[in-house]
Amino acid sequence: MKAILIIFNQADTERIEYMLDEMGIRGFTFIENVQGRGSINGEPHRGTHTWPEMNSAVLTIVPDEVVDGVLANVRRLDKRNEEVGIRAFVWTIDQIA
Amino acid sequence: MSIYKSAVDKPITTLLIFVAVFIIGLFSLSKLPIDQFPEMDPPYISVMTTYAGANGSEIETNVTKLLENSLNSVEGLKTITSSSRDNLSLVSLEFKWGENLDERVNDVRSAIDMVYDNLPDGCSRPTIFKFNSSSIPIAQYAITANESYPGLNKILDDNVVTVLKQIDGIGTVSISGAPERYVYVELDPNKVDAYNLSVELIGNAISSNNLNLASGSVKMGKEQYQIRVQGEYVESSEIEDIVVSTTYDGRQIHVRDLATVRDTIKDVSLEEKINGKDGVRLIIMKQSGANTVQICNDVKDLLATIQPKLPPDIKITLIYDQSEEITHAIKGLGESIFYALIFVVFVVLFFLGRWRATIIIALTIPIALIVAFIYLLATGSSLNIISLSSLTIAIGMVVDDAIVVLENITRHIERGSSPRESAIYGTNEVWVSVIATTLVIVAVFVPLTMLPGMAGILFKELGWIITICVCTSTTVAISLTPMLCSKLLKAKDRIFNQTPSEEKKKKRITYENTVVRFLDKIDKLYAKSLYFCIRHKFASLLVLIAVFAVSMIPVIKGKVGTNFMPSSDEGRLSLTVELQRGTRVEETMKTARAIENAIYVSVPETQLISTSLGSSDESGISSIFSSTNNNKISMTVRCSKKNERERGIEEISEVIRQELAKIPEIIRYQVSTRGGGMGGSSLEVKIFGYDFDETNKLTAEFSSKMKEVEGARDININREEDRAELQIVFDKKKLARHGLTEATAAVYVRNRVNGMAAGYLKEDGEEYNIVVRMQEEYRNSITDMENMTIMSGTGSLIKLKEIAEIKEYWCPPSIERERRERCVTITITPYKVALSKLAASATEILNDMTIPQGITWELSGNYKDQKETFSNMITLALLILMLVYVVMASQFESFSKPFILMMSFPFALSGVVWALLITNKSLDMIGALGIILLIGIVIKNGIVLVDYINLMRDRGHALTDAVALACQSRIRPVLMTAITTILGMVPMALSKSEGSEMWVPLGIVVIGGMLVATLITLYLVPILYSIMARKGERDKNAKKRKNFYFMGLDDDIEQVNMNTFNAPTEKLTENKH
Repeated sequence: MKAILIIFNQADTERIEYMLDEMGIRGFTFIENVQGRGSINGEPHRGTHTWPEMNSAVLTIVPDEVVDGVLANVRRLDKRNEEVGIRAFVWTIDQIA
Repeated sequence: MSIYKSAVDKPITTLLIFVAVFIIGLFSLSKLPIDQFPEMDPPYISVMTTYAGANGSEIETNVTKLLENSLNSVEGLKTITSSSRDNLSLVSLEFKWGENLDERVNDVRSAIDMVYDNLPDGCSRPTIFKFNSSSIPIAQYAITANESYPGLNKILDDNVVTVLKQIDGIGTVSISGAPERYVYVELDPNKVDAYNLSVELIGNAISSNNLNLASGSVKMGKEQYQIRVQGEYVESSEIEDIVVSTTYDGRQIHVRDLATVRDTIKDVSLEEKINGKDGVRLIIMKQSGANTVQICNDVKDLLATIQPKLPPDIKITLIYDQSEEITHAIKGLGESIFYALIFVVFVVLFFLGRWRATIIIALTIPIALIVAFIYLLATGSSLNIISLSSLTIAIGMVVDDAIVVLENITRHIERGSSPRESAIYGTNEVWVSVIATTLVIVAVFVPLTMLPGMAGILFKELGWIITICVCTSTTVAISLTPMLCSKLLKAKDRIFNQTPSEEKKKKRITYENTVVRFLDKIDKLYAKSLYFCIRHKFASLLVLIAVFAVSMIPVIKGKVGTNFMPSSDEGRLSLTVELQRGTRVEETMKTARAIENAIYVSVPETQLISTSLGSSDESGISSIFSSTNNNKISMTVRCSKKNERERGIEEISEVIRQELAKIPEIIRYQVSTRGGGMGGSSLEVKIFGYDFDETNKLTAEFSSKMKEVEGARDININREEDRAELQIVFDKKKLARHGLTEATAAVYVRNRVNGMAAGYLKEDGEEYNIVVRMQEEYRNSITDMENMTIMSGTGSLIKLKEIAEIKEYWCPPSIERERRERCVTITITPYKVALSKLAASATEILNDMTIPQGITWELSGNYKDQKETFSNMITLALLILMLVYVVMASQFESFSKPFILMMSFPFALSGVVWALLITNKSLDMIGALGIILLIGIVIKNGIVLVDYINLMRDRGHALTDAVALACQSRIRPVLMTAITTILGMVPMALSKSEGSEMWVPLGIVVIGGMLVATLITLYLVPILYSIMARKGERDKNAKKRKNFYFMGLDDDIEQVNMNTFNAPTEKLTENKH
């Protein structure tokens, strides 16, 4: 099992939800209004007057074989317009209760 | 849940809420009455007291002074003026505008109660009058007749007045100048004396033979009868046969032996002529709060149906109908609103280039405006000049918020987000600043509602309407606009958008190839010039300051005059002409005809002249308000409509003035263009002083000097010339010897001259006066008076000269006072010259004159109102500037940055000065209002610039770059909002419709101020920002570093913060190790 944390511009909320639904990923935790700043470039999303945009995050725990598909979709979304901003981070889950 | 998210998520609810608002608004619009101005009751209360037999100066000392002293303490009183004339004292109290007059009436009543016991015996109880707007006529008709003229009063009373009175909301309907039927019994004094009779005996004989009386009832058998004495005259000829007395030899003396009985119309001393024909005026007033236009239309319709039923020689023509002016003015304003709307929509389309976006923005206009109608209905106001011009002003401003929101949403959509999410998140990013800019507007307009005085009443509605419109537009911008954007705007797919046929596209004439290129060129041009200016910022600043200084030169030199209210061209003139005192009515009539003819010849635009002259015998209450006398003529001239003639009403009035100056009989004349409404300005000079001779001398000297001043017209002095009077002084001892008292003797004289009322002749339910008096030829000279016979207490006949002496003397007809001092008022009307300039020359003249001790003068009238209003407005402007500063300082969270924006306001003043100079107008109350509006509009448009520079600075751009980048990217929104505001005003400034004089100056001032201020703002703001911000930002960074010094981080680290975000990222990664 892997945990995927997708952090994306709020403006992509619908697309992320659509992606999860289409890929048959049922379980996720949705965190609204998270702030962040990219490591390389792009505008910070801080919800301030200076940087008004905001992110949301989805944490989903999926079987290993799904991960690549999700990441591919995330990349596709990112490529569509890099200004908008989306990142996904994956790590291993040891146990689930 | 935020409002914009709910709106986007529930499009149907949102849409329907606004549809509901729209429908309620339309409903309100249909219910709104149409009027000229918002309801305002002029704050005047008058106290009228009669004291029979006292002359002006006696009234002054015994009645007026006492009342004045007591009334002076009434709360809220502004000025107290009084007029004391024979038998009558009239004290007028002017209160501050907006006072609760009902309460004030009570205060006045108790003040009178306090002093009532001290008033002389025989003095009537003071009567209190409250003036209100319903006492101003809303329409006047001229009714002319030939054969039917003698019976006109009854015909009109039965057929017209009673019918018109049934109209809903109509107030008084009165007929002025209608001939009244009178039965005169005119005696030959010689015959009366020969039969040893007196006027009183004959009068009593006539009245006591004219009687119907119930005399109880009689029972006869089974019946019961009422007994009546039925002796009333059926016809006037019966009077001739009345037996007055019987001689000792048994012969009866009839009235016909002593007198002639004339059943006729009342002797004219009041004459009404319409176009030189006999006629009367029908005056229509409305109840307060009623719909003027509706009533006027009803009256018009009813009169059209009545006309065929009247005798064919009776003609009804319109003299004046307020509803026409109102409807024209309202129509004119409606057109202005319509054109403004079209202009604004086109500007938006031009800048945005997309019709869907344009529709979304254009939709905010009707919604924001229609909410104003709901407000108007809720507060019981009306569609009037003020409310509609407020809407015109609002049009340019209500789209601004929607533009900002839409622009940001479009930015998101163009980045590839879905319309729905762009709408939500795009709005989320800007809604705070949208509300902040709205707050600036609110900070300008809400204080406007607190202005005192008449201006306050007018601007209250304006302040609220604009506040409501702008707040509604903000609400729409953050709810309906995002919702519509999410539905109407199309998502752009960036990847597929790049079509290969780029080459082809270039050749086609598209929006991108024309307007966008043009706008890009402007952007580039601006960027270039801006870089130049920032590089030479101090030099540029000096140039700008020099421009401002130069523009202020005309002001310092006094080239820009000030006025109170613009005079409006209602196509109507009122003339007051005064002839030599003591002129007979007949002579005055001749002069009136001469004036009429002169006007017909010199003013071909004339459509109708209504003349009235003389005065009614009876001193009814209405006669205190009209100043017609035997030697005075008042005329109303109606000209053709404003757009049907070339000469303005001012020019026409000047022509008439020249004509009047040619007629030698005329001593004084006044030609006023002020109609029933407001508008126009006049200067009043008041001279206070007790001594009549000295003040008269001073007044005469001043007015003759004033006549030479350029542009001074209609110099009018309110103190009338001394009037010749005949005084009968009875010898009391002789009176007593004949068993008479002064009171009875005085009544006898009155009976002989004025006539003795001897009952009524009744016909068809109407009563007509029967008056017994001497034939005219026996009461025409002092000798005739002296030879009048009076019956003594013992029944013997004596001549008046035996018991009294008749003297001729001169007395002032009335004594005018103000602030409890005697006062003369000189009124001067400006012609093609600003009121302020006229006031300056008047002051100069008065300063050069030697003014005796105890005499003071002051400038008053509209000039005083104007000064008060302007000083109020300056206070208001300061208050508004402070509020705007508060709003901006809290938005920028900076004490200094608001000043950058406020500095652009003086340039708006330069624009105003230039606009006024070019159009050759003077600054009036409405124009001053425009300046106040400019504070808000100019500053609001500049906020975007400063805000964006701040943003760029925060995002880490160097100062010059930040300034240049921000200005370059914001020039379009700034231009767009400015152009919508300016074009929204253009129809108003160019309007030629009737009554447009009111708001044209407003348009001119705002357009001039906006144009210059916008252009200057685009350079001034960046320059000032780069001068002011340089040091401040550097200090901020140093301070921050100091705070975190303890962390022992490298000096380089301070660069890793938000401000250096765009710096190469290697640094960030390095430091992480």
